[in-house]
Amino acid sequence: MKKTQIVLLLVISIMIGALLVTLEDASVYATFEIADRQKPETVTVVAKVDLASPINFDPKTTLLTFNAIDKDGDSRSVVYNQPKPSDFERSEEITLTGHSTDLNFVATEILMKCPSKYTDDNELDTTGIYSVNF
Amino acid sequence: MDYIGEHSLISFLGRASVALSFAGALATVFFYSLYFFSSSEKKRYNHSGIKSAGRLSFAFHSIGVLGTIGILFTALFNHWFEFDYVWRHSSMEMPMKYIASCFWEGQEGSFLLWTTWHVILGWVLVGTAKKWEFGTLMLLAMVQVFLTSLLLGIYIGDLKIGSSPFILIRELPENIGLPWTELRDYLIRLPSLRNGQGLNPLLQNYWMVIHPPTLFLGFASVTIPFLFALTGILEKKYYEWVIPALPWTFFGISILGTGVLMGGAWAYEALSFGGFWAWDPVENSSLVPWLTLVAAGHLMMIVKHKKSAPASALFLTILSFLLVLYSTFLTRSGILGETSVHAFVDLGLNGQLITFLGFFSIGSIFIYLFHWKNFPKSPSEEAFSSREFWMFIGSMTLLISAAQITFSTSIPVLNKFIGPEGILPILVNPMAPPADAAKHFNSLQIPLALVITSLLAIGPFLRWKETPNALFNRILPSFIISIIISALCIWGLELFNPLYAALLFVSIFGVFSNADYWIRIVRGRWTTSGMALAHLGFSLVLVGALISNGKKEAISTNATYIHEDFPSNENILLPLNDTVSMYPYYVAWRNERTEGHNRVFDVDFYETEGASTWDDFKRPELKPAFTLNPFIQINARMGNVREPSTKHFWNRDVYTYISYADLRPLNEKNGDWSEPMEAVLESGEEVFLFNEYLLYCDTLNVQNASINQNSGEIEHLDLELDLILKSMNGGETNLTLPYHLDGNEAQTSEIELEEKGLKFRFDGVATAEGKFNITAWEKNNGDPPFVLLQAFIFPYINLLWLGSILMGMGTLLAVWKRVYRAINENKK
Repeated sequence: MKKTQIVLLLVISIMIGALLVTLEDASVYATFEIADRQKPETVTVVAKVDLASPINFDPKTTLLTFNAIDKDGDSRSVVYNQPKPSDFERSEEITLTGHSTDLNFVATEILMKCPSKYTDDNELDTTGIYSVNF
Repeated sequence: MDYIGEHSLISFLGRASVALSFAGALATVFFYSLYFFSSSEKKRYNHSGIKSAGRLSFAFHSIGVLGTIGILFTALFNHWFEFDYVWRHSSMEMPMKYIASCFWEGQEGSFLLWTTWHVILGWVLVGTAKKWEFGTLMLLAMVQVFLTSLLLGIYIGDLKIGSSPFILIRELPENIGLPWTELRDYLIRLPSLRNGQGLNPLLQNYWMVIHPPTLFLGFASVTIPFLFALTGILEKKYYEWVIPALPWTFFGISILGTGVLMGGAWAYEALSFGGFWAWDPVENSSLVPWLTLVAAGHLMMIVKHKKSAPASALFLTILSFLLVLYSTFLTRSGILGETSVHAFVDLGLNGQLITFLGFFSIGSIFIYLFHWKNFPKSPSEEAFSSREFWMFIGSMTLLISAAQITFSTSIPVLNKFIGPEGILPILVNPMAPPADAAKHFNSLQIPLALVITSLLAIGPFLRWKETPNALFNRILPSFIISIIISALCIWGLELFNPLYAALLFVSIFGVFSNADYWIRIVRGRWTTSGMALAHLGFSLVLVGALISNGKKEAISTNATYIHEDFPSNENILLPLNDTVSMYPYYVAWRNERTEGHNRVFDVDFYETEGASTWDDFKRPELKPAFTLNPFIQINARMGNVREPSTKHFWNRDVYTYISYADLRPLNEKNGDWSEPMEAVLESGEEVFLFNEYLLYCDTLNVQNASINQNSGEIEHLDLELDLILKSMNGGETNLTLPYHLDGNEAQTSEIELEEKGLKFRFDGVATAEGKFNITAWEKNNGDPPFVLLQAFIFPYINLLWLGSILMGMGTLLAVWKRVYRAINENKK
């Protein structure tokens, strides 16, 4: 076997290795129920902020506490030890990365999706049409 | 129907230009490909005819593209908001200097930008490629056919082909058939068409003016080596293609690299990601083609020297271009929506993008495999001590690095295939990107970076074919210096993570060995300095990235309030005007104000005189050091954005941003007012106020009065009431309350005593003779306003920027070296 062929074989095997490690590192999109089952493994949950229950933010300890409802309709108390994102209440959907504990879901990262980003604002407002005289 | 004030003709001309550029590209493909389908005899005979026809078609294509740009700029410049693109991306208020940013904010404009660079580079090819012109321009025109088709905006049945930047708002699918579109004068009647949505404030900065053109020039210059590679295969010039392709490859490495790093600099300067690289999918997808292009460039040099074994160079050159297309697909199809903060919006062009990607992937891979057996094989094995062997290893390592980043970035694509709703539902739950992106990428990429960097440290000292043992001694001095210096750095910076320490050593080795090579062997001759400078720059980028990120220190640690369940975090609470210790500084939030879109905060930093340890800090002499102005951009479209402010020192940056703030105006959040207290007083009378003060009514002054001669009623009256506020401790404060009467309208104003937290109003003369109505409020003593601040120190980050500049310069010198030689050869 030639050296280049050996190198190529090595390259391919390292690539497969890297792919496996990547798959191993990847987290899953889960629901709170799955998060509970897999605790304390880190998962990613797509949920909505429950606006009916209180959203508390204590600036001194930078602790945000709120309830979130996942797509199965399960509700959990979520704690997030970071400053409250601005327009938090306006978010349509939030992506929580974190893990379940016996008490609640501890989020380490929150990504927000704001519906206003592209839809609401970019709709042409035709309500203000001046009176039409035919 | 004629619509009043609408620029329908311009819209038509715009679409006609796009159509011309599309047709011109098709014609270019047709004429140039005639050459390939004719027999060799005819080739010689038809040669010049084909060339002229092809060039003429490409000229038409170019006119179309330039016309499209010109018309779109005209529409943007004149604020013709009946154009959807203009309405969506610009507004009357926007400063004209950002007009270019509006141009490429949308997908259509950025495709146009890419197309334009291809046109410009295409003409350079026409002028320089000589016998390569047929193949390269034929393939370039094919790329242009796809790119311009993305701007066509026509429907064939239900199939949408492209998205036109010249579509009028009334022609949008969602507006067709609405009553207002039938009005001849809709432009006058619809107030919302008088102004556009405006450029996203986040993109209103100079980075948005320079970053996209650089990045797209980088993307466009990845195309050119691909054209040469494929033409090389088609014309069976399996290794000759590298000669004209090499300068283009280095040009691409330089520009694309600069573009990618510019994106990092933008993120660092203007976004609060907390660093210059966040391993975001969009960043990754522009880094990956750069990595493979660097590998391709090195493999081409091997081919050039050996005049054989082109398989891997061809493969990586083609792959780089395919990865640019893949990156376009990732960032523009909306597939990254959930995983990236700055992907484009879905325009419904996914089918077309996949066709674009599929056509070139399948086409070029087919051609490659079809010719595979004809590729000349290397006559001899490379020696272990040869430059080409280690260059090959380095290129393969770059390929692995690119592949790994691509895997991780493609997780959303993988979900489409094997996710629960995919074609082959293997997974029960869809995969999400790694929870800790930095940790994931670092653990895999640092070992690869170790290999690459040690190779670029040693590589320059190796010789083609075989390196005599004596030559190894040349590396020794820089090796020894690097060991000493990196040991000092590791000890001084306390960088004890073994992977980081190892990478720091090899990067420092890379810096010194290439500097040594530049001084001792190249002796600073500019034409041949390219390699050493580029390698030195790359090593410096790594040193800078490693130290600034590895030793990034959060100085805003909240040491006062710690939640029982969580470690203290990196947000410090700053009450207004309170000086808080944030080692090694003291900070105070002094003020806030509104500037345009931004709420700007003034944060003063203080140093302590002569204090060096924590103990000395207890009774400090504070000396103002500098003021930073982090701000929050009020952005209705994207959500508010926290923008950092950074103090640059030669050896470190102090980087801060406001991580939380109450966005009400300062006076509103500065405590609320109590219920009003009303008093009726006459001159000389006193009243007990808020358990603390005595309010003494002194005199009433009539400043101005006029009486209507006819009716005898008061027409105009200005009064001032002098009061004295007596504190319990004997202090007295004078205050004067105004009152104006104009006909029947009274004007009163509230007078605030800020230091006492009181305000008063004179409500006029009471019904009882000689008495005055006064209202008073006291401020509720709530918590003072506060903000949360994050502050980081990035040590030695300037090494990273210095390295970037050197790398850009070095790769450009490598281009110059080849251009210079080509010119000189022509002269002979």
